[in-house]
Amino acid sequence: MTDHTNDALSQPGLLTPSQSQRLRDLLADLEPGKGSVLTALHRAQHELGWVPRGAISLIAGQLRLTDALIYGPATFYSEFRLTPPPATLVAWCSGPTCRVLGGERIKLILEKTLDCELGQNGPNDDYGLWLGQCNGTCEQAPQVWVNGRVVGKLSLAGSARLAQRIRDGEGAAKIAPPPPGAVEIQPALIRKESP
Amino acid sequence: MTTAFQALRDAAGSPPTAQQRPLLRVDISTSSVAAGADAGLARLRDLVAARGIEIDILTVGSLGLSFAQPTLELQLPGKQPVVYGPVPPDEIEAFLDAVFADPVGQGDDSAWAIGVRGLNGAAGDAQDGVPPLSAHPFWGPQERRVMDQMGVIDPESLDAALAAGRYAALDQALDMEPMAICDLIEAAGVGGRGGGGFPAGRKWKFLLGAPGPTKYLVCNADEGDPGAFVNRILMESDPHLVLEGMIIAARATAASHGFIYIRDEYPLSVVRMRKAVAQAAAAGLLGGDILGTGMSFTLEVVRGAGSYVCGEETGLIASVEGLRGMPKLRPPFPAQRGVFDMPSNVNNTETYAHVPSALLHGSDWYREFGTESDAGTKMFSIGGALQRTGIVEVPFGSSMQALLSDIGGGVPANDKGAGKAKGIQPGGPLGGLLNADDLGLALERPPFTERGVLLGSGGLILFDERACAVDLSLYFSEFCEDESCGRCTTCHGGSQRLVEMLARITQGGGREADLDRLGVVDRALQNANCLHGQFTPYAIRSALRHFRDEVEEHVRDHRCAAKACRGLIRHRVSDPADPALAEAAALCPTDAFVGPDGERTIDDAACVQCGLCAELAPAAIVVEDRFPQAPVAASAAAAAGPSPAAAGA
Repeated sequence: MTDHTNDALSQPGLLTPSQSQRLRDLLADLEPGKGSVLTALHRAQHELGWVPRGAISLIAGQLRLTDALIYGPATFYSEFRLTPPPATLVAWCSGPTCRVLGGERIKLILEKTLDCELGQNGPNDDYGLWLGQCNGTCEQAPQVWVNGRVVGKLSLAGSARLAQRIRDGEGAAKIAPPPPGAVEIQPALIRKESP
Repeated sequence: MTTAFQALRDAAGSPPTAQQRPLLRVDISTSSVAAGADAGLARLRDLVAARGIEIDILTVGSLGLSFAQPTLELQLPGKQPVVYGPVPPDEIEAFLDAVFADPVGQGDDSAWAIGVRGLNGAAGDAQDGVPPLSAHPFWGPQERRVMDQMGVIDPESLDAALAAGRYAALDQALDMEPMAICDLIEAAGVGGRGGGGFPAGRKWKFLLGAPGPTKYLVCNADEGDPGAFVNRILMESDPHLVLEGMIIAARATAASHGFIYIRDEYPLSVVRMRKAVAQAAAAGLLGGDILGTGMSFTLEVVRGAGSYVCGEETGLIASVEGLRGMPKLRPPFPAQRGVFDMPSNVNNTETYAHVPSALLHGSDWYREFGTESDAGTKMFSIGGALQRTGIVEVPFGSSMQALLSDIGGGVPANDKGAGKAKGIQPGGPLGGLLNADDLGLALERPPFTERGVLLGSGGLILFDERACAVDLSLYFSEFCEDESCGRCTTCHGGSQRLVEMLARITQGGGREADLDRLGVVDRALQNANCLHGQFTPYAIRSALRHFRDEVEEHVRDHRCAAKACRGLIRHRVSDPADPALAEAAALCPTDAFVGPDGERTIDDAACVQCGLCAELAPAAIVVEDRFPQAPVAASAAAAAGPSPAAAGA
């Protein structure tokens, strides 16, 4: 498994000049003192797929705040990721309807079969298993989101089969391909091209 | 009516009807997309184009029939609209074949038909063998006041909203004095729908009395309670209703600017609310001179980023300011010092949605439904071990039995035979647990509070006998620990101790003293700074009260009767010859099966008790107690009586 726990500290997470420029353009309209930290972090994450160290400094500069005042919210809010997303992201729904229908055991099966714990990525960031928050599509329970698309009404065996397919190299494009004109219902973190 | 509003209404025209061409409404909302509605819509458009079918396709929000997603509604010229569902993408073609059979309308659509929806608020009539929707158990008992246009109008069109009557109440409010609006809303008894129930009109008066000119209005759409999704469907299906309520509130409080704080898990709500705000601003319903009356109010949508405590109003305010969403001590209350230290008012999304109709029809009309403590109607999201999940609107005071058993259809049959309800989980992670004996409770705040639980913001989850009260308490405690903001030690330390104790109990390490010590942690948590910490022990406190025997059995006998706590059970092969074991062994996540085909056993050290093998080979696997012992005398459990740990309720 790939453990990114200390990435933010050990890797410089520097942005390439072109990434810096794109991000600077995206943040240009944000003014200091207007409570724009979350907006800025969202834009950075949308552009880059995650929030690298360099983006934090760049946002701090734009909003005239210290890096710490950006790093705080970036770590407090669970939707901001300080590690790169996997190519195929399995977000496990932690909601209570899923729970009373066997969700906890599904998590266990996914963790053991994929050999990564909740919040971690597999080898080469090919896939990862992260926590997803309930968005109220409980008629599909128990469910996971594969790159933001629902894979629902899972049995225990069905979740093991799903995990085996992902472990054996089937990506999200094959497991849950988005249709033309797909509507986003989960904040899907899709890995962008590497710099 | 202001001339500006008259002009807007005239330009908007009248609601779409199927006068010449059939009108097909396609539900595009989070729950329909989860069932594949976006793929279905793409398929539908392809087929309609390929076959040259003359039809108007309208994307709408959700009727609330989540159990039947994806839903469609077809209205043929001269007929009433018929609701269909589920129509998954791979059945779209067969569906079109049926409804556009020759002659049109005479095909067999019975595989998908749910009911005939009446027009203009009236109940539908049976049509071509399809019963009226009002005869459907899910639909009939509802009183849809704020939901009246949901799933009917295009949520991304201001004209559709205007044609459906939106902003007429605002137009009326612009003729009223702010205090008169506050009085009317207070007299109607519009209460906070987030769970507090505080009268909105009275809350508004605090802000009206606060010094200006900069005052903020906040819409709390950070619907963090997992299992509750009423705000989501409101914003996705009728965003202009929420905006209208907010602009009326701004008129009543002289607020200058508003924030709609939406949780990040609702991307479609963010898109539709942003679109609605932009449309309203362009039409002069927001801005410096609203409908030519000189009233000034602007709005922006703030996207949260995944934090449960931001649903607490002071945490939400901190988040709007771009800080970590940590709740603060009150006082000062937001009406004194809120967003950026300016006077502010925070209401739930559904609260704002109730304002326009209350204003338009008056307080007597509003109080036709509801009870003394909770006036009007309430939206509920129902789920769990339930036949029909979805969103409904019923009067406050309706029976929970009617909601869950009649509307929701009760517990479906499962692998253990006919389902039996065991309990209800109301009000989110902080709401506690109720025994199924209390199914008959009226849906208003007082009876829930009396039983040590919260009605909360409208999420109700039914669970059956496969669920365990201790396991659920652990689950909710873990959730609360994870979501504790970390500011006060009482909360983050207390919730950690609670999780540790419950985890130990579910792993067979329960001790007699735990029964009292859970109460000690509970009492300590009452000193937490905000409601998050104070309500964290509600789950275990209510479990001790309503599922006392079950908790004691876990603690004393290390036994889980529901076989849900993995630390207290063991899977054993009872019939090694069962061929179904081969697949179970192939899928076993920890490869715990040892031995050749026909002689398989489970290696207890490797097994994590996930239950996969029992699901695949139910005849070959027995689930037994990990700590077998003589059953406890029934009299001991009966003598325990009411819970000493319920102190502080």
